Amino acid sequence: MALSLEYFAKETASNLWRNRVMGLAAVLTVAVSLSLVGTSLLLRQAVNRQVSQFGANTSLAIFVNPSATTQQQADIRSTISQTPQITHCTFLNHEQSYEQAKRVLASAPAAVSVLTPATTPTVFGGQLSNPADATTLMATFQGVPGVYMATSPVQSIHVLEQVTNVLQVVLIVIALLLLVSSLVLILNAIRMAIFARRREVSVMKLVGATNWFIRVPFMLEGLVQGLLGSAVAVFVVLLANLGVGYLVHRYHVSVLSSTVLPAHDVLMTELIVVLVGAVVGVAGSTVAVRRFLDV
Amino acid sequence: MIRFENVSKAYKGAEGDALHDISLEILKGEFVFLVGASGSGKTTFLKLLLREEVADGGSVYVAGRDIGQLSHWRVPQLRRNLGCIFQDFRLLPSRTVAENVAFALEVIGRPRSVIKEQVGQVLELVGLGQKHHRMPDELSGGEQQRVAIARAFVNRPLVLLADEPTGNLDPATSQGIMKLLDRINRTGTTVVMATHDVGIVDAMRRRVIELDHGKLIRDQARGVYGYDNSSTSRGIPAVSVASVLDEDLGPATGRVAAVRARRGIR
Ligand SMILES: Nc1ncnc2c1ncn2[C@@H]1O[C@H](COP(=O)(O)OP(=O)(O)OP(=O)(O)O)[C@@H](O)[C@H]1O
Ligand SMILES: [Mg+2]
Repeated sequence: MALSLEYFAKETASNLWRNRVMGLAAVLTVAVSLSLVGTSLLLRQAVNRQVSQFGANTSLAIFVNPSATTQQQADIRSTISQTPQITHCTFLNHEQSYEQAKRVLASAPAAVSVLTPATTPTVFGGQLSNPADATTLMATFQGVPGVYMATSPVQSIHVLEQVTNVLQVVLIVIALLLLVSSLVLILNAIRMAIFARRREVSVMKLVGATNWFIRVPFMLEGLVQGLLGSAVAVFVVLLANLGVGYLVHRYHVSVLSSTVLPAHDVLMTELIVVLVGAVVGVAGSTVAVRRFLDV
Repeated sequence: MIRFENVSKAYKGAEGDALHDISLEILKGEFVFLVGASGSGKTTFLKLLLREEVADGGSVYVAGRDIGQLSHWRVPQLRRNLGCIFQDFRLLPSRTVAENVAFALEVIGRPRSVIKEQVGQVLELVGLGQKHHRMPDELSGGEQQRVAIARAFVNRPLVLLADEPTGNLDPATSQGIMKLLDRINRTGTTVVMATHDVGIVDAMRRRVIELDHGKLIRDQARGVYGYDNSSTSRGIPAVSVASVLDEDLGPATGRVAAVRARRGIR
């Protein structure tokens, strides 16, 4: 048995080396394809985190034009209280609003420097009973006299989700096409390995080697090609994640802060990448062995 | 050891039977020549024994087993009991003599210590102990066939099948190969050899089975290549082969008229 393991290792290694050009093509295709799969999985998780972080925030902010009259302010306040979809309402005066702006814009001191308490709009903050109403309410309040702007994070979250959905479908389709090509490339690499080994194979059959014994080195070759491809992809995914983390840190891009995933999520993604690589390698070589190795 | 019971075999797309209703028995330790014109079915006969082909009708028994009934995964076990050599040697050109022989044991999972010992022994037996590290293309045809014999015999098979093993060799080299096969036969190994070599068949005086268009037309103990004794004269240098073999095989093999003992056919 120990000898068999050594034999398999030697055969597989020599097959891989003999077949290195075809093998490289297969490995690289697997790598590109799985990098796409991995990053698209990371993207999906990042967006999900963003959504769950902001999703609970069903607020509506109504900024009052600094030049609005007291009457207009009172009208806005009463409109809010007469709108049943808004459950809870708070008011930030100029001072409070200025403090909040300083906090939110901490990473952009230049923007804060042009603000003074007097020029910072006062804000009515409302909570929505149903996030779906955000768009209608924003439009309604936009039309009320004295309102500078009505915003809700609910809407931008919605847009973000839709963009991600489309992007992810595109990435997955490309990745699937590439996975199919890598399967075909592995299949072809193994077919060539079998052809190169036809003398050995015929001797093995003649002296009574079992079918499995004859097949295993070729199956291993496919598996190794798949795994090499996923190793590259694992590295790419790791780099992508580190890169985003670096950007967030270096440039304080706080909007992206939630796209830095916890180690656990990244690990799961990497596991999936490795698994898919192994499956593609084994599937490609299994088909090749069944079709071209007549044992 | 080997028994054919009303065996017929027809290849797809070929007209007529490659083998037609063959019945015979070969005992353990026998040395049998399989002769007949080209296309008479000799190779097909050997392929049935190896389970490279399966009979359409009748049964082929090897060591008591009906090998036509053997399930797919038991075929390797059958082949481990059969050694096989060919006209074209079929050595692996990228491996040395010793590696070629060891390969046969490696791929059936024999432990390394056993391999080392058996390869050494069998290379001595075939007379290549000194050339174990050579590559096949550094050997003469006769030496290559010896390597092939070593590979076929290293696992001590019950039966050695040979398909025109001297077909590519000159008469003197052929004699050497025949001496070797005879030696292997004397260890109790059954040998079945398909051949066109008149001189060898006539000199050895072993059992001869003749096929013609797939039919068994002669089965003769201590036979010659053809019915007619004069047929030996048209062979290549039958006389010289015979004389060399005579010293090896003892006085019994003089040029006696062939004993035409037709063995039980049907
Ligand atoms: N794979 C095959 N497909 C179809 N017909 C075949 C096949 N192999 C052999 N035959 C036919 O079967 C018959 C017997 O062939 P076989 O090879 O057994 O003859 P042989 O006695 O070994 O001939 P030779 O002395 O030339 O080697 C021939 O007519 C041959 O054409
Ligand atoms: Mg033949």
